Amino acid sequence: MAIKSKRYPEARLEANTNLELYWWVFMRISGVVLVFLLIGHMWMNAILADLNTIDYEYVAKRLSQTTWKVYDWLILALGLLHGANGLRYVLDDWIRDPAKRFWTKVVAYSLIAFLFFYGSLSLFNHDFGVN
Amino acid sequence: MYRGREGQWAFYLHRISGLGILVFLILHILNIGSAMWGPEVSNALMKFYHQPVFQLGLLLLIAGVLYHGFNGLRIILMDFTAWGVRYQRALWYGVWVLFVVFYLPFLIKIGGGILGGSHGD
Repeated sequence: MAIKSKRYPEARLEANTNLELYWWVFMRISGVVLVFLLIGHMWMNAILADLNTIDYEYVAKRLSQTTWKVYDWLILALGLLHGANGLRYVLDDWIRDPAKRFWTKVVAYSLIAFLFFYGSLSLFNHDFGVN
Repeated sequence: MYRGREGQWAFYLHRISGLGILVFLILHILNIGSAMWGPEVSNALMKFYHQPVFQLGLLLLIAGVLYHGFNGLRIILMDFTAWGVRYQRALWYGVWVLFVVFYLPFLIKIGGGILGGSHGD
């Protein structure tokens, strides 16, 4: 079950498995990293660029540079993992019936795994043909 | 413990914004990833998302990301400092100050775009 504690020593006591504690720590670390990555991401694409001009050309040009591939992939990986674990907390809280909870998680995790695969493919395994 | 006060609102808003961001992330990955299918497919999808209603959604999303992010930093301060929990309410108002400072540029740029009718054509 998700850790409810607000302080690290208590979280350590409450965690009955190390894995649960690692997720608790992961949420904090990925959270800090994501704040900076996402403010940068939104600033670049909504303030520095005009949102309405974003099209295939713009995306292809940005994704032809390794720096932005890595930047976007970090957001993809950390964001999906952070989001998946957050969703797990919510489902554990809201869905009481074990069978329903199990199948909801199967669907949710499958969707997230697919998005990770699809997003990674478009970042690293596709040639956008920009020189 | 903190029923009905700032802490509870902070918690609810954190969950709702988190779920909202996750839903957006799904659409966003499918939309941007569509560039793999070439300019025609990709541009058609992106033009669809340039409609003013989605820009309003984007304003809401940016608000969600900024709140979730800054409130997340507040949670981390509560977790890892000796004084964080004591000042959780003050910190929550700090979250809103940061929120306003960072949200204004987006509100002006995107909001202005919607009002000015500069959406995709």
